[in-house]
Amino acid sequence: MTELAIRIRGLRKVFGATAAVGGVDLDVPTGAVMGLLGPNGSGKTTLIRLLLALSRPTAGTVELLGAPVPAAAGKVLPHVGALVEGPAFHPFLSGRDNLRRCAAAEPLLATPAIPEAVDRALLRVGLADAAQRRYRAYSLGMKQRLGLAAVLLTRRRLVVLDEPTNGLDPAGTQEVRRIIAELHADGATVLVSSHLLSEVESTCTHVAVLDRGSLIAAGSLPALLDGETPALDVRTPDSTTAVDALRVAGLSAAAISGGVRVELAGTEAPTVVSMLVGAGVAVHEVRRRRTGLDELFAQLTKGDGR
Amino acid sequence: MTTSVSGPVRAPLGRLLRSELRWVLRRPRTQVTVMLLALVPVLTGLGVAAAGSSVGGGLLTQVSGNGLVLPVGALSICLTLLLPLAVTMAAADALAGESAYGTLRALLLAPVSRGRLVLVKALGVLAVAVTAVAAVTVLGAVTGLILVGPSGSSHGLLTLSGTEIGPGQALMRVVLAAIWTVGQLAAVGAAALAVSSATDHPLVVLATVLGGLIGSGILSAIPTLDWAHPLLLTTGWFAITDVLRDPMPLAGLASSSARAGCYILLGVTLTLARTATREA
Repeated sequence: MTELAIRIRGLRKVFGATAAVGGVDLDVPTGAVMGLLGPNGSGKTTLIRLLLALSRPTAGTVELLGAPVPAAAGKVLPHVGALVEGPAFHPFLSGRDNLRRCAAAEPLLATPAIPEAVDRALLRVGLADAAQRRYRAYSLGMKQRLGLAAVLLTRRRLVVLDEPTNGLDPAGTQEVRRIIAELHADGATVLVSSHLLSEVESTCTHVAVLDRGSLIAAGSLPALLDGETPALDVRTPDSTTAVDALRVAGLSAAAISGGVRVELAGTEAPTVVSMLVGAGVAVHEVRRRRTGLDELFAQLTKGDGR
Repeated sequence: MTTSVSGPVRAPLGRLLRSELRWVLRRPRTQVTVMLLALVPVLTGLGVAAAGSSVGGGLLTQVSGNGLVLPVGALSICLTLLLPLAVTMAAADALAGESAYGTLRALLLAPVSRGRLVLVKALGVLAVAVTAVAAVTVLGAVTGLILVGPSGSSHGLLTLSGTEIGPGQALMRVVLAAIWTVGQLAAVGAAALAVSSATDHPLVVLATVLGGLIGSGILSAIPTLDWAHPLLLTTGWFAITDVLRDPMPLAGLASSSARAGCYILLGVTLTLARTATREA
């Protein structure tokens, strides 16, 4: 059994008449980088707030690192770093003083280690030169970086990032990806929410898609990309011959522009190719069809013709 | 990497407290407020000195003949509105303000338990009360001694009762007045903290508490409501001038301090209860 960093069962949060999160079950394996995707207002932030005991669920249970939350929050949260709803700091303090204030509250940091931990975190997010400036003078991107620095104050076992690239330029986005990759390499589990697909596709091992408070897909990225309809796109001028040959063999095939698409139900790619070659079809190119997360995301979030 | 997380770990309370005090006392608005408050005894002293003995009756007349009356008089003047304002501002920032900025989240995520959060915040508000009272008292005493100097043959203090007490006694009475004032302000702060724990808007805290103080001033002026007067914090606020009488009547100071204690207990209890379930 894989260890789970996050285990959510039947999680609900109701505000008045609307369910912001309506009965979510989700497992995040230890060491995974899980992308939490969903359009604005789909309940991503509410879900994250419930995970971190900032908000109490109407129903359901959450376990972080094997301990129930919010009951054991005091035990678990020292190992969890989080950036929720954007960076929040005091405008009249410098970046360094703001981080020192955060560090003072970190249970796992020994008092003598604080100055060094703060400077290391600032260096890691590229704010070392701006450490003395007041937070009020920071640009949006710098504020976001300082928020990340607070997450990096100690070694975390679980990191939760809510829209970490908001307001960052492409270079900043790249930096965030690098930091996520470093955390991943260090063995930490990362949960990162986003409404940008490209961001998730390039950094995550797992994806969960949330729409109007419900989880509509979750799993490892390869499984989600291929799992839908494993298919081969074959480029060939003899598409009619190819379709006939494949249908005779009991495979589902259809002509597409410039070739055929074969569904790989119960067969492997080499079998299909040798079948086609045996039937005298000129095979120019065979490509495993990728659904593409963009396509998947579009399908999932507007599938019901809203 | 182990599966289970180890037992509860907490940041040292002293470190949290130092961090809070640094934040509270370095905040520009705290510094400006304390400086403005410190001006009150200075300006009062200068005004009284300039007017000479032509000032009409009351406590301040005594100032012109007696330096040590000034700090007590200044505390009494500031207690009506300015000191409660300073303390309420601090309490409003402590929970409602931090919540509005989103910085309360960082503390809860660290995590700082909600009980310790209230403790640290309450001590932060108390620190503002102590600082503000100390500023008024010290500048009052210094200004009084420079402008007027100690009166009487023994360089002591001429009481409102006409007797004279020695400088050591006089100093003790000024310190007593300051401590009593801190107690009353702690009561205001506890009430303000309770409101602060229930809202995300610092202005709501300010409006509620100052409205309450002004309202209780009005209520205490209505004789038919005299049954309610013992419940009002402001009822006992005239007791501060008792430190200038000889012998010093203790009943008023004691009962107003007991009332403040009740307000502190109630305020802190409500704050704890509200903070325990607060969504950040």
